[in-house]
Amino acid sequence: MPSNGPVTLTAKTVDALRAIVGHESVICAEQELLVYECDAYTLEKQLPNVVVLPQTTEQVAAVIRLCAQEKLPIIPRGAGTSLSGTVLAVTGGVMIAMTRMTKILEIDYRNRRALVEAGCVNAWVTNAVKASGLYYAPDPSSQSACTIGGNVATNSGGPHTLKYGVTTNHILGFEMVLPDASVVWIGTRPDGGEEVDGYDLRGAVIGCEGMFGVVTRVLLKLVRAPQMYKTMLGVFENVDDASHAVSDIIAAGMVPGAVEMMDQLITQAVEAAYHFGFPLDAGAVLIVELDGLAAGLERQAERVIEICRHNHAREVRLAKTEQERLDLWKCRKRAFGAIGRLSPNFLTQDGVVPRSKLPEMMRFIQSCSEKHRLRIPNVFHAGDGNIHPLILYDERDPDQVRRALAAGHDILEKCVELGGSVTGEHGIGVEKIDFMEKQFTKDDLDAMRALRHVFDPELRCNPHKMFPGSKRCADFSPRKQIAA
Amino acid sequence: MTPKPSSAAHLAQILADAFACNEKIGPFDLAALNRVLEYTPEDMTVTVEAGITLAALQVELSRHRQWLPVDPPHPAQLTISDLINTNVSGPRRFGYGTVRDFLIGIKVALADGRIINSGGKVVKNVAGYDLAKLFIGSHGSLAVVIQTTFKLRPLPEMESFVQVPCGSLDQTDKFIEAVASSEITPVVLDLHALSPSNAGMPTLVLGFAGTREEVKWQLMKAHELGVNEPSSLDYETTFWTNPAPAHRLSILPSKMIAAIRGLNDTAFIARAGNGVVYHRGAPSPRQSKLPLELMRRVKDTYDPKQVLPGLPL
Repeated sequence: MPSNGPVTLTAKTVDALRAIVGHESVICAEQELLVYECDAYTLEKQLPNVVVLPQTTEQVAAVIRLCAQEKLPIIPRGAGTSLSGTVLAVTGGVMIAMTRMTKILEIDYRNRRALVEAGCVNAWVTNAVKASGLYYAPDPSSQSACTIGGNVATNSGGPHTLKYGVTTNHILGFEMVLPDASVVWIGTRPDGGEEVDGYDLRGAVIGCEGMFGVVTRVLLKLVRAPQMYKTMLGVFENVDDASHAVSDIIAAGMVPGAVEMMDQLITQAVEAAYHFGFPLDAGAVLIVELDGLAAGLERQAERVIEICRHNHAREVRLAKTEQERLDLWKCRKRAFGAIGRLSPNFLTQDGVVPRSKLPEMMRFIQSCSEKHRLRIPNVFHAGDGNIHPLILYDERDPDQVRRALAAGHDILEKCVELGGSVTGEHGIGVEKIDFMEKQFTKDDLDAMRALRHVFDPELRCNPHKMFPGSKRCADFSPRKQIAA
Repeated sequence: MTPKPSSAAHLAQILADAFACNEKIGPFDLAALNRVLEYTPEDMTVTVEAGITLAALQVELSRHRQWLPVDPPHPAQLTISDLINTNVSGPRRFGYGTVRDFLIGIKVALADGRIINSGGKVVKNVAGYDLAKLFIGSHGSLAVVIQTTFKLRPLPEMESFVQVPCGSLDQTDKFIEAVASSEITPVVLDLHALSPSNAGMPTLVLGFAGTREEVKWQLMKAHELGVNEPSSLDYETTFWTNPAPAHRLSILPSKMIAAIRGLNDTAFIARAGNGVVYHRGAPSPRQSKLPLELMRRVKDTYDPKQVLPGLPL
């Protein structure tokens, strides 16, 4: 059973941790621990008792062995960019931060593989290999900060998943320290073939939200970078027209590398912040990026433009240079930042609906916005039905906080009702625990719990996440929680 | 006698009964569970019962110019359940991946008859653990697959194959190296030697798929590399028509030619881009250093009474 209250740690244990990783790699002063009190989901906060920053797999294993002996919770952490409280130390415990294991250990160009330490930042991999025409495909929006180990734990996505898949499609194998301190290699070994006999444990661990152990080294697949991009931006009267354009593009047999949509509110915010020249009364802006071999891409781009026009696009821009392409992307990638102009705080969700249900979902979000009297701009991955409504509120007003949470709740319930999922990228963490029973049956959840027991029979690794009935921070430190 | 359930509920009942009596059970005949349950071409997803054959599914999908991009042998006999259980693949895996890359949701009956779901119907979904992966390649040792949801791809506008007979394995290696370092993106990069006498002089096959322009440009590039005889995937059918079982060898692509040399003149086909060789020589040694303890725990967790088939390891 997991420990039931806030963890206490003796000075002796802290000394033992220092003996393993070195004095300067153990953090236990309260003001220094503040950095580790939450991830990018800030509605719940809790300090771990101690943070250790190991530099080798052996150190990770030694720390975990000590935790096993003393029955202490372990909380693995990468860069803390997750959005659902996945790395929250709900009852305190020993946080193992991987940010000092950042090396790219080996790049095998011939076999298109890279071996990296778990704390290696996602974008570093592509930067290291791009001169050879290769890249690491998964590109979550946080890729300049998030770690590969964190990507494995959360099965990260990004804007290019429709065509290229998510993290699980690009990881060959990894080294992992189990909660009993044993070190195992799961999946393809760095010197081995891609077919591995037995169960696909690699697939089962990817996306486990750090509950099965601490990943220390990861073997990545590298793929050939597209020869050319054709990036188009369409300005539409409304979301329905833009959504129909997306459906028509798919029906025409094209799979764009990315299809992103912004609604009117967010377009206005982006325009106010960055002056791209978007008409302020435009109902939706659609970005479509085709990529691949140069041959034939022109014809496909013309087809996309034609489809946009057919669906009443007011205007379609085609990036003529790499600079123009990066500018078009800038307006999308900076969309979250532009929200600062609209509201002091926002709550974002990442539910998913079948793409064909997007217009219905957008109408529902609009009605939600009216019902809860909060503005909800939308920027989303239109190609794969992954929405990101940004529920605007002011955290100084408790009533607004309550209404924001209620709106988020309504939106996720609707996603499940429409045959979708409450999370496409961010994970369950502590934030969406209550939705697990809406999306899954008791038997489904029991089958998941059974798998957790395989890896962590004592339930000490990243405890109080994902499953209904988990302890909440509010049980221990109610003053730290902004809203219940 | 092979049990032949008439519905998912019936299947669950058969399992529950066997579990209660500690009786070993399976494999099942799922011929009655062969419907396409939900196909939304504009979402590029399909949900099917596990007894449908891959060929029958592809026919349905082709009406909307889509397909499930896996091409294992014997698709007319291979059910979706077989596809999941054995994780088989074909020559196009170099371009598209394996069934693992397309399975987004699964419904299975566990050993005790409980029916569970994992994943869902949407192409991006991280709610809960990705249990679906456990069943791929599990040889039916953890559960019985009832229903699956796949993401799909549009059928390519054009597909074309070219080949070159290699004079020696050294020359084969040079061709592969040249293809790997060129800008072409073949969906098939295969070697074959259908008779032992050819084993030292295999044929290299490239397959291209996509728009007409993409395919034609790549054919031109392949010609420049010296790969220019028109080809097809007939070798694949020929190899698998032989009823004798084939052995699989999976190695680093860079070590494949050496591994083929080590087979000592045996007929083979090889996915050169993936480092996977199928041959009818001496069985390949078992893979070592697998996390067997974890695998055993997985088996014991989902099939505590060992009523389902064992995992061949």
